[in-house]
Amino acid sequence: MGALTDPKVGEFINANFVASFQKVGTFKIVGGNKQGGNVASYFLAPDGRVLHAVAGPVDGPTLLREARWVVDTLKAANKASGGDGAKFKAAFRTAHADKLRAETGLQVEAITWDAAEPSDKDTLSYKDPTGRPLAPKLPPPPIDGPDVGLSDKEFNDRQTKANAAPGGRYVECGVGLKKKRVAVNNQAVVDQLLAAHALTRIEKVYGTVFENVLGEKVSTKPVDVDTPFPWVDRAGNKVR
Amino acid sequence: MTRFLFAVAAAAALAAGGVAADKKPLPKPDTCFGTTIDFVDTPKEAAAKAKKDEKLVFVLHVSGNFEDPRFT
Repeated sequence: MGALTDPKVGEFINANFVASFQKVGTFKIVGGNKQGGNVASYFLAPDGRVLHAVAGPVDGPTLLREARWVVDTLKAANKASGGDGAKFKAAFRTAHADKLRAETGLQVEAITWDAAEPSDKDTLSYKDPTGRPLAPKLPPPPIDGPDVGLSDKEFNDRQTKANAAPGGRYVECGVGLKKKRVAVNNQAVVDQLLAAHALTRIEKVYGTVFENVLGEKVSTKPVDVDTPFPWVDRAGNKVR
Repeated sequence: MTRFLFAVAAAAALAAGGVAADKKPLPKPDTCFGTTIDFVDTPKEAAAKAKKDEKLVFVLHVSGNFEDPRFT
């Protein structure tokens, strides 16, 4: 179980968090082999607002580092905000933008205010068969480009590390002649998203993390067993 | 039919005797699922407990086997 069996992770999580888990997706069994399946870890305030997330499986030291970042940032944001909720939210979103810059060399502008939400009761809003609105896809703030305070070597070093991390991929940023391909990874995309949506409730964030960052499909269906030859069993005998 | 009733009565008597003789408490259910983290049953319960204990909440969203090392 990778990170979750690491005693240091267990000690830190049990001391600072109350843990739980939820099934939000499914996987297929095709010809006896599993296809799909993933995990996302969320660090939340007790009222369900997302402070931080880790998309995809990671090793123990990485999960521990991210969990420590949450606790340290929470303390710093509490101190800086002096009990003002709006300042606390702004501090947390700015911390995500700073983290993205430190880890990948990429610059995003933290969005420290929330746009008015569309009504769930709108006749045009999509709903699942039970009548609930679907998990929204939150737009991430655009990547402005490389941090201009970094030298080329510093930026390239960070980009190389970013590309080697889980989910490493290239995306385009900038417009016109300033258009550039830059490396991001799962964690960088999560930090980019939370630079605009930290302190949003988990039910509004999880769909974006699971589908847009990890490329999974949100589903509460049981395991989908799929075989190209459903009329025979594995030994070749007719099923009915 | 009589034989069946005797058998049921004997089984009940044995079961009652067994419980009386063996008063060990039931084992605590495994809330770690083989990990080093103690999980509560639902995120809602985790939120309530976190508020009471002045802690944060850690929620895993999984698709696939919780026991599979590739995913957790």
